[in-house]
Amino acid sequence: MPEPIVEAVDVAKVYQLGKTEVQALRHVDLVVERGEFLSIAGPSGSGKTTLLNLIGGVDVPTAGTVRVDGEDTSRLTERALTRLRLDHIGFIFQTFNLVAVLTVFQNVEFPLLLQGRMTSAERRRRVETLLESVGLAGHARHRPSELSGGQRQRVAVARALVGNPPLVLADEPTANLDSKTGGTIIDLMREMNRRDGTTFIFSTHDPKVMSHASAIVRLEDGRVIGRESAQGAEAR
Amino acid sequence: MIATDLFIAARNLARHTRRNLLLAAAISGVTALLVLLTGLTSGMREAMLHSATTLMTGHVNLAGFFKITSGTAAPIVADWEKPWEAVKDKVPELVYAAPRGRGWAKAVADGGSMDLVLAGIDLSREPGFDKVIQVVEGSLAELGKPGTILLFQDQARRLGVKPGDTLTLSAPTTRGASNTADVRVAAVARNIGLLSAFNAFIPAETLRQLYQLKVGTTGAVQLYLADPADSAKVAARLRAALREAGWRVMDPDPEPYWQKLMFKVNAEDWTGQKLDVTTWEDEMSFLSWIVTAVTWLGNVLVGVLLVIVAVGIVNTLAIAIRERTREIGTLRAIGMQRTQVLRLTLLEAFLLGLGGAAMGAAAGAAIAAGLNATGIELPETMQYFLLQRDLHLALHAGRVALAVAFVTGLTTVAAIWPSVWAARMRPVTAMHHVG
Ligand SMILES: Nc1ncnc2c1ncn2[C@@H]1O[C@H](COP(=O)(O)OP(=O)(O)OP(=O)(O)O)[C@@H](O)[C@H]1O
Ligand SMILES: [Mg+2]
Repeated sequence: MPEPIVEAVDVAKVYQLGKTEVQALRHVDLVVERGEFLSIAGPSGSGKTTLLNLIGGVDVPTAGTVRVDGEDTSRLTERALTRLRLDHIGFIFQTFNLVAVLTVFQNVEFPLLLQGRMTSAERRRRVETLLESVGLAGHARHRPSELSGGQRQRVAVARALVGNPPLVLADEPTANLDSKTGGTIIDLMREMNRRDGTTFIFSTHDPKVMSHASAIVRLEDGRVIGRESAQGAEAR
Repeated sequence: MIATDLFIAARNLARHTRRNLLLAAAISGVTALLVLLTGLTSGMREAMLHSATTLMTGHVNLAGFFKITSGTAAPIVADWEKPWEAVKDKVPELVYAAPRGRGWAKAVADGGSMDLVLAGIDLSREPGFDKVIQVVEGSLAELGKPGTILLFQDQARRLGVKPGDTLTLSAPTTRGASNTADVRVAAVARNIGLLSAFNAFIPAETLRQLYQLKVGTTGAVQLYLADPADSAKVAARLRAALREAGWRVMDPDPEPYWQKLMFKVNAEDWTGQKLDVTTWEDEMSFLSWIVTAVTWLGNVLVGVLLVIVAVGIVNTLAIAIRERTREIGTLRAIGMQRTQVLRLTLLEAFLLGLGGAAMGAAAGAAIAAGLNATGIELPETMQYFLLQRDLHLALHAGRVALAVAFVTGLTTVAAIWPSVWAARMRPVTAMHHVG
């Protein structure tokens, strides 16, 4: 059996807010298997973003260990952690976070440039394929500001997937979209998950969005209070 | 990656056009000033070289002092052709050489009196002379006749003379007595800054008579070279050759001959002839403080402005980076290394600096060319100190390029601090929601 893509053991995260300590996460254990389409649910302030940040290697836990693709994030240097994010993790943000001065094509191409493994012809082919599959083939030369929110998030999905990472993280990817557009983004992510076997972990408040997940992890007050298979989850 | 970095940096600059244009304008303003100032100082240096050589000194001078007793020195080379013949083959760079008598006299005319530094000139040997002298009254050819003098405008005014008038020169001879000669004003020449305040020319023969010197005695053999930059090299070579040929040669000392005469040679304990090989820079060293002062003033001015610009750059970049917090955080989150962020931000400053500096250099060069073409006559006091009558700024591609490189480099260095700050930005900032 292959090792899980994510393995969190007894994770705690404490934020220091002046003199007070905020226990954002406590005693969190979580295993995410490869190919899952996992939703993290919970009320505001329950620690969803914090957990995704720890899994994404943009932050490290105060206690416990987080392993991503076998790597203990607390033991990596800043440089290696950045490399882990580049090669193993794709990010989709609530606010899209595209680089405003770059075109759609350039935004999607960017991780490939950072990886520096492909020739420009290979990159072009890869980016075009991705834009095709998110339905934006005709928008390669547009700038983010010329796109709708849904289109921007599609670009972000393409950017997250372009380097072929085994894991994609999305913190409330639909929160800034209307529910119909949000639905199409989740559908798109689900399609990519099915097609390539890429693991997706996303957080959301929206029960409709949750219903697409293969499993739901519920957080409350910094703890995991349950894990369930969602109604919409199909056996894999 | 570099191409993309360049692209992002350029686009970032273009995004905040107003702010960056303002900064670029400041950068180009300073660069333009720097170009103009270096143009002015090298213009002064060139004017000094151009007018001082020929008027006061050759590019290299084979001069010397003769002491009858150890306390009475005269700035003369006896039988100058002997040492010159012995070494002239050693100067392939030579264009021409001519002997010049050196002296000092009090000039007295009906209208007034003044001290003059006299040069005894043999016009027929000095093809370069009429290129420097601009006669406004009288004729230069008259100076070829014995018993004449060439004055500059100010001197003529002070003495109240015009061509054809006579004035009396009174000079101490080498033997300590005083001797006089009446000379007729041959021509009045246009002022050439400070140099024309006290220098006047009389025929070499007349000078010898005034000082009761033998034929064959002169003040210095002035050597004119194809390239004045060779002066120091040629001087060193001549010094060695003269020593080799058995002459007593003084050690190099960057002072004009009259300072050596007044403050140094008389205090030394020797008699007879010593030779002294000097360059135009040695002879003009008493004026170099002007160039130094202007250079320093300019440097201070440019320095202050550069500090202001640097503060502006730090400020503007800090603002730009603060605005871009989320973007930088995003790039860091998706896998951009700190060093790459640093490079990107520095590149932005570099481009801004290069663009601004290039624009400024072009503007500065254009202004300089315009000023040169207009031929602005400097106010008289300025003429003295800038050693030029018309404002002339010397532009050299190399110096302009250096100014651009300097300002661009400084801009980039100023950007280091905000860039490090940007590179330290934590990727988690990308996750913060609007606000
Ligand atoms: N940088 C921080 N400094 C201090 N406290 C923080 C910080 N980030 C989060 N917290 C706190 O940690 C707790 C968990 O926050 P987190 O953002 O993970 O919740 P969330 O589930 O993502 O909430 P939301 O649904 O509102 O996005 C909250 O109490 C929050 O106030
Ligand atoms: Mg959150």
